Amino acid sequence: MSCTESRRTQAYLDGEPTDADAIEQHLGSCSECSEMRDQIVSLRADIHELAPYYRADSSLRNRLSGALDREAPQSPRGGWFSRPFWTGTASGALATACAAMLAFLLFLPPQADRLTNDILTAHLRSLMPGHLVDVASGNHHTVKPWFAGRTDVSPPVAEFTREGYALIGGRTDLVDGRRAAVTIYRHGAHIINVFAWPADDRSLPGIVSRNGYHFVFWKSGNVAFCAVSDTALDELLGLTRLLKAMATPDSRE
Amino acid sequence: MPHLDAAYNLARWLTRSPTDADDIVQEAMLRAFRAFDGFRGGDVKPWLLTIVRNCHLTALGARRRQALVPLPESVEAGGDVLISPGADPEAIAIGTDQARKLGEAIAQLPDEFREILVLREMEDMSYRDIATVTGAPIGTVMSRLARARAALKEKWLKDVEGGCRELH
Repeated sequence: MSCTESRRTQAYLDGEPTDADAIEQHLGSCSECSEMRDQIVSLRADIHELAPYYRADSSLRNRLSGALDREAPQSPRGGWFSRPFWTGTASGALATACAAMLAFLLFLPPQADRLTNDILTAHLRSLMPGHLVDVASGNHHTVKPWFAGRTDVSPPVAEFTREGYALIGGRTDLVDGRRAAVTIYRHGAHIINVFAWPADDRSLPGIVSRNGYHFVFWKSGNVAFCAVSDTALDELLGLTRLLKAMATPDSRE
Repeated sequence: MPHLDAAYNLARWLTRSPTDADDIVQEAMLRAFRAFDGFRGGDVKPWLLTIVRNCHLTALGARRRQALVPLPESVEAGGDVLISPGADPEAIAIGTDQARKLGEAIAQLPDEFREILVLREMEDMSYRDIATVTGAPIGTVMSRLARARAALKEKWLKDVEGGCRELH
């Protein structure tokens, strides 16, 4: 690394607070840093898509909850229970059971960040040469059936050419470890990826902006969606409005 | 329960063994439970992962702990070719073979590289939080992260993306 900006560029790519505009500009003129960007983004995508993320299995959870149960009676009151957040839930006879439950509440903050990051990574990767579309077509009769069997959802697909959003194709991708159907639109010079995957009962982040990209999340029936692009947020919301309007009213919750 | 999963994932990558990871996480959760009173608020995740890491180091014992300190400036390229040249990264069915190979490549990294990549790329943690967990200054976090990426790229990405060789 000889470029004096490489540290700042790395920090920018790692989501650290930096002067994004200055670095974007620098990236446009420094081949060393833009190569580093490609490498970090690509390595990140590989780690997210391929490297195992080990989750605690149910037997470990059970053992933990047993161990914490035994621990609870000895733990000094005023520890867990004096905290304002817990006080509403923990009371009297339930204290022991609550102690174990609270321990798990401790491990329950939103997973939103990881989801957004997954989608940002997938979006950036899709913008690298040769990664954007698996099936290139401006016709929804081609794109929509292509998803059948390749993904677990069948998202609405349409040409919104008149509204300024040209369908350019479809792709499969991974979101949160699940197969997602991605519909790709072009709006002016901007690419918009619309991810769709089977929803679960977790809440979605809503509208998020990160690293100059906007993310609009929504749920329709049992499908979760995220539209992502570097286009202006209003323009992105224009497409999501059209897509939401297409959702069949009888879709099951 | 992402934080429990985060604790387990870190323990699993640090120990490279499911049974050891189970033990570490159990120990760490008990310590966290007992120490919760001393937790001064803020983000729970770095706090918990610091405990996980400490439990791991304790379990490793003083002998192996010393082996963690010296870290080569550049990791040897090594002779192992990890990726078959024909691998297609766009393959719709993600090759389990590729996943296994990337897992192996990460597992073979020096401990300090492995842990920093897990914290940054899998747990999405900020430099400051990584500094908290690893006890290293932020400047060290940044340079170590760069070297960890270069080391992993050397083992993995080069073969996938068709060979960018200007590493050093």
